[in-house]
Amino acid sequence: MDGIYLLQLLLNGLVIGVIYALIAMGLSLIFGLLGIVNFAHGEFYMLGAMLSFFAVTDLHFSYWTTILSVTLVASAAGLLFYHLFLSSLRQGDFERSILLTLGISMVLQNGGIFLWTVTPRIVPTPYSYAAVTFGELQIPVLRLFTLCIATAAFLALYVLLNRTLIGKAMRGLSHSRHAAAMVGIDHRRVARLAVMIGIALSGLAGATLAPVYSVQPTMGSAFVFKAFAIVIIGGLGNILGAALAAILLGIVESLIGGFLPLTLADAAGFVGMILVLLFKPEGLFGRGVRV
Amino acid sequence: MKRLMMAAVASALLAATAMAQPSPIRIGSTLPLTGNLAFFGQHSRWGTELAVAEANALGGVLGRQVEVDYQDNQCNPAVGVSSVTRMLSDKTEVALLDGVCSSVILAIMPVVQRAGVPLVVANGSATAIADASGVGGNKWTFKVNPSDASLVEALVGWLQQNGNADGIGFLGEDTDFGRAGMQAFEQALGRRGLKLASVDYYQQGTADFTTVLTKVRRANPKSLALYSVGADFQNLIRQYFGMGLTIPLTGRLLTDQIPPEILASGRLNGATAVQPYTAEIDLPANHAFIAAFQKMHGAPPNLLSYEAYETTRVLLDAISRSGIAQPGAIRDALQTTKLHSILGAEIEFDDHNLAHNNAVIVMVRDGKVQVVGLSKT
Repeated sequence: MDGIYLLQLLLNGLVIGVIYALIAMGLSLIFGLLGIVNFAHGEFYMLGAMLSFFAVTDLHFSYWTTILSVTLVASAAGLLFYHLFLSSLRQGDFERSILLTLGISMVLQNGGIFLWTVTPRIVPTPYSYAAVTFGELQIPVLRLFTLCIATAAFLALYVLLNRTLIGKAMRGLSHSRHAAAMVGIDHRRVARLAVMIGIALSGLAGATLAPVYSVQPTMGSAFVFKAFAIVIIGGLGNILGAALAAILLGIVESLIGGFLPLTLADAAGFVGMILVLLFKPEGLFGRGVRV
Repeated sequence: MKRLMMAAVASALLAATAMAQPSPIRIGSTLPLTGNLAFFGQHSRWGTELAVAEANALGGVLGRQVEVDYQDNQCNPAVGVSSVTRMLSDKTEVALLDGVCSSVILAIMPVVQRAGVPLVVANGSATAIADASGVGGNKWTFKVNPSDASLVEALVGWLQQNGNADGIGFLGEDTDFGRAGMQAFEQALGRRGLKLASVDYYQQGTADFTTVLTKVRRANPKSLALYSVGADFQNLIRQYFGMGLTIPLTGRLLTDQIPPEILASGRLNGATAVQPYTAEIDLPANHAFIAAFQKMHGAPPNLLSYEAYETTRVLLDAISRSGIAQPGAIRDALQTTKLHSILGAEIEFDDHNLAHNNAVIVMVRDGKVQVVGLSKT
């Protein structure tokens, strides 16, 4: 067994897993708090990436300025998304939420195709083709940044959910809406904030990954179905669970692809999801909004 | 009362005028307009739009304007079959253009045979399409551009002449296109007593290629043949470059889709590719096509645009020669096609309804793409 090859596969898998986690975090948060499966999550990720493309090429923003500004715009989009569409949903409107978010997903994707065509775009950065080497191991600089940004986002979410009053309110709301109301927690205010954060995270993912992958209106589909599988494997609403499941999936895919036909690697996530649903439907790490 | 009479007269005149206009000739087109190959579907559509616009500007075909009904197949065979079946059910389309994706074309071939409507294939390159067409097979399917078998035979022949035909690894999409490419390489190399050093496939829509490229780096073939298109190719070539790989590239490398900074770096110098078309072909007809395409769509044409443009010309020529724009007559006219390609060759169909246009071999030299060979397929 080639040790260096195995280590490189593990490193690749860790990075890919963190990329999945960055995309899945927002989805997990919205589901955990509101019980809404946001099928438009991939399209918000795509919009974040498209916005990044225009910020860099038309407004000449730097890499870091782009990430910050797109994340802020995405949180504003989350606010709009909540007020226009999600605020009308009541507890138990599960089927309605699926149809609503699926419809929004189609509108956003096809709207993107109409406005921008499907020509793949590249977001240029000074780091696009740079790599850091550790002996014989290599990691592209942009993926190293992604690792750092995803870790920072996760830590920020941890602090919010565990060290702030609003975070406590979010966790309380995810356990019982009625009990939360009885102690004076304003459900709408908390839900609105959760959606803003969830969409901001997908925008952050889009902005961070736009220089890594080609940007085009259908790019959300490549990751969003894996994000669903990860959220289910990790436990609905369990952000730490989603992050761990994402990293596990990334490593498993990388190892499978490294030693077996790559096409088998794509099945890994969905086989895992089926097994979890069969034997541990609450997810490997349990349900509920927590980090 | 007076106003009512004037309105009645105006309506009657309008109806009479409408009745006097001959109805348009309707052609169906099935393309991936969404999904991972949508970029290619878009360019294929643009090529057809240019050919139709040129024909309509000259008065149409048989005195009738031509209309094309574009339907999305998402590069998915099941979706393609469903949408084509629906499209042909009203029997207004006299012919059908392409599918882009070989998997879709192979799936809809029985549909067009049952419907008795000619399918003229522009972009799908799987050898199985022509193998199943013409004599002993599907008499309604025609393929204008060279199949993978003939393209790869031309490339491997050229590589062998230059001492680069051994130790080739293969990386392609897991579709009929990718698998046909691998088979074409195995056959072409097998005829020369050689074989592929490694074979890997990836799922269409893959964004991250670090795993498979790490595997390729470990296998270290002497060169790597790529069969990748659309956004997948963009991601693949950027990640290949970002990982510092220097294995020479070959196969159906889309040189016009390589980011300029990667070409200019010089790291791809020596890369070769075989395609049915490249914009670098220095012929007046090609320059005119590029200029017209750029003017109409605001973007340069690519391989898909050219193939669709040429194929639509072939179909419109056949409709014109058929005299009556009926599917059976168009099919018969297609079989006797003799049309001058903008690449200089004559487009004629053989017994398997396959035309033998030129294969173009290009090489990257000093950061630029140059045509190094034109080979009749």
